[in-house]
Amino acid sequence: MARFLSLHVSDVRRETRDAVVVTLTPQVGDEEAFDFIQGQYLTFRRNFDGEELRRSYSICAGRDEGALRVGIKRVDGGCFSTWANEDLKIGETIDAMPPMGSFHTPVDPHIARNYLFFAVGSGITPVLSIVKTLLSAEPNATLTLVYGNRSSNSIMFREELDDLKNVYMGRLSVVHILGSEAQDIDLFSGRIDAEKCRLLFKSWIDISSVDQAFICGPEAMMLTVAQSLRDHGLIDEQIKFELFASSQSGRASRKVVSKTNEGANAICTATITIDGTTQQIDMAKRGETVLDAALAANMDAPYACKAGVCSTCRAMVLEGEVEMEKNHSLEDYEVNRGYVLTCQCYPLSDKVVVSYDQ
Amino acid sequence: MSESTETKMPLDNYLAQGGKLTSPENVTPRYRGHIMRMMASFIDSQLAGSAGFADSVNTGPGVKERIAASRITLEKLVHAEQVLMLLGQFGANTERYFSHHPWTARLPRDSDIGNSRHGQDMRLNVFHYPIQGWIDAVVMNVLMGKAVSVQLDENLKISYQPLAEAYREILPRERRHAELGLEGLVKILASGNTRHEVQQSVAYWRPRIAASFGSSSSERFEQLQRLGLRNTPNEQLQAAWEKDVSVSLSELKLD
Repeated sequence: MARFLSLHVSDVRRETRDAVVVTLTPQVGDEEAFDFIQGQYLTFRRNFDGEELRRSYSICAGRDEGALRVGIKRVDGGCFSTWANEDLKIGETIDAMPPMGSFHTPVDPHIARNYLFFAVGSGITPVLSIVKTLLSAEPNATLTLVYGNRSSNSIMFREELDDLKNVYMGRLSVVHILGSEAQDIDLFSGRIDAEKCRLLFKSWIDISSVDQAFICGPEAMMLTVAQSLRDHGLIDEQIKFELFASSQSGRASRKVVSKTNEGANAICTATITIDGTTQQIDMAKRGETVLDAALAANMDAPYACKAGVCSTCRAMVLEGEVEMEKNHSLEDYEVNRGYVLTCQCYPLSDKVVVSYDQ
Repeated sequence: MSESTETKMPLDNYLAQGGKLTSPENVTPRYRGHIMRMMASFIDSQLAGSAGFADSVNTGPGVKERIAASRITLEKLVHAEQVLMLLGQFGANTERYFSHHPWTARLPRDSDIGNSRHGQDMRLNVFHYPIQGWIDAVVMNVLMGKAVSVQLDENLKISYQPLAEAYREILPRERRHAELGLEGLVKILASGNTRHEVQQSVAYWRPRIAASFGSSSSERFEQLQRLGLRNTPNEQLQAAWEKDVSVSLSELKLD
């Protein structure tokens, strides 16, 4: 179950024109909860105009730096990232869940591994955390980073990467690929696609010596790079992914509640949508849950515990009113948005519209 | 991880091409339902399996057998906890989840529920049947250990990366459980007049475990396949298990 803890904002540093690096300090007693593994992310929550929004951002600090830092790039229309870039101030507090994510491999100081990283844009944040951690904790490791950006002034952590190259001389190499800038060598311009990978593996990167690859970026780039790596002999276990949460929705609209009168009618007409298919079912108002009614109508509704604890059967009430008998898993903000646990739901109104697709 | 507008590829497309999802925030509602259900089924099976096996510890004939049985009981709980932690990231209440069901509950030995789910949890049907004594526990563990290994091997390619990685850690331990079972079985067969009882136990568990592979409709399988949640049809998985079991049983001259 999600547990949010308060973090103190101890620094906000502008990294590029549209990205900030935020340093956070746990409250006394919470330090252990925020003891992160390189490559993990934090999920934040904040109220915007009375509505809770959650966003996850990767930690960009190395494990042994003794600091908790995230990089937040502003995206157009992105409520949280715009707020973080424009309004977040030192001294404020912000709620976050303890670190999560498995974008990492175990650190072993005794072996000499070759690592290859692909990052695009703010996909560098978890990669930087891993790079810093490995440089310091695996003294025999060598690391190559292929880093794609639109232009040179949008490169996050450019100086920090340069510094790392100098401090760990000969162990880190960085290949910048810039989308909209012509460079002396064509190889370093354009997008990271299959052809780019082929050329890189032909002339710059000895792919046969790579022990572990990490990819962080948008979907298309992840697929292309992963396929290229496989084509060049890497197996699935050698490739770690961290996907940008591109499907994170914006603000959800509040549920529509139609105030139907509470008659003595024992039957409710439930309109239930699953996987784009909508079915209308007449169901008893008492004795049968919305989930059971859907299952009885041969709809493939998701569920697991049927006890209100797992939230697999979560759906959104778009119209009408329902009563939720037990709720041990949905949080207030989800309930406010209209989410219900259908295994615990009985209709109150004569008509309800419920969607599992929201 | 970050908000991004750099990508417009629909998630279904990405998954159909073998893309991986890495956090609950990446997933669509439909995917969420499927993946949570799969995790719940695994967790419930491990919890029920552990609870059912716990009694066998005291039926072990020697200290080595009891250590093996304790280890299996313990590690199945660890496996459940590993995946329950992932379920918690989707919003499940992990503490209540563990306590919402009596994991030791079993049906009468002679019941037959085929491959249907039973009761209020998602455990595989085979974990609804009671174990009777040490020989029965060992036989069940060998046959089911092999089935779990086949299932987990299939799931290593699952498109939800955190779960695939958990399974990657769990699989070698599950394989070891089956091996421990096999070692136990060899010992039982060498210990005297036990062959008939072993054969009876094999005859009891084999069809029940076979049924746990299920026979999902091709439509559902294709849907899961498009989401990167399935790879090999149930029938093929069951055939792989049957083959593995046949080899072991014939080595022990139990076929």
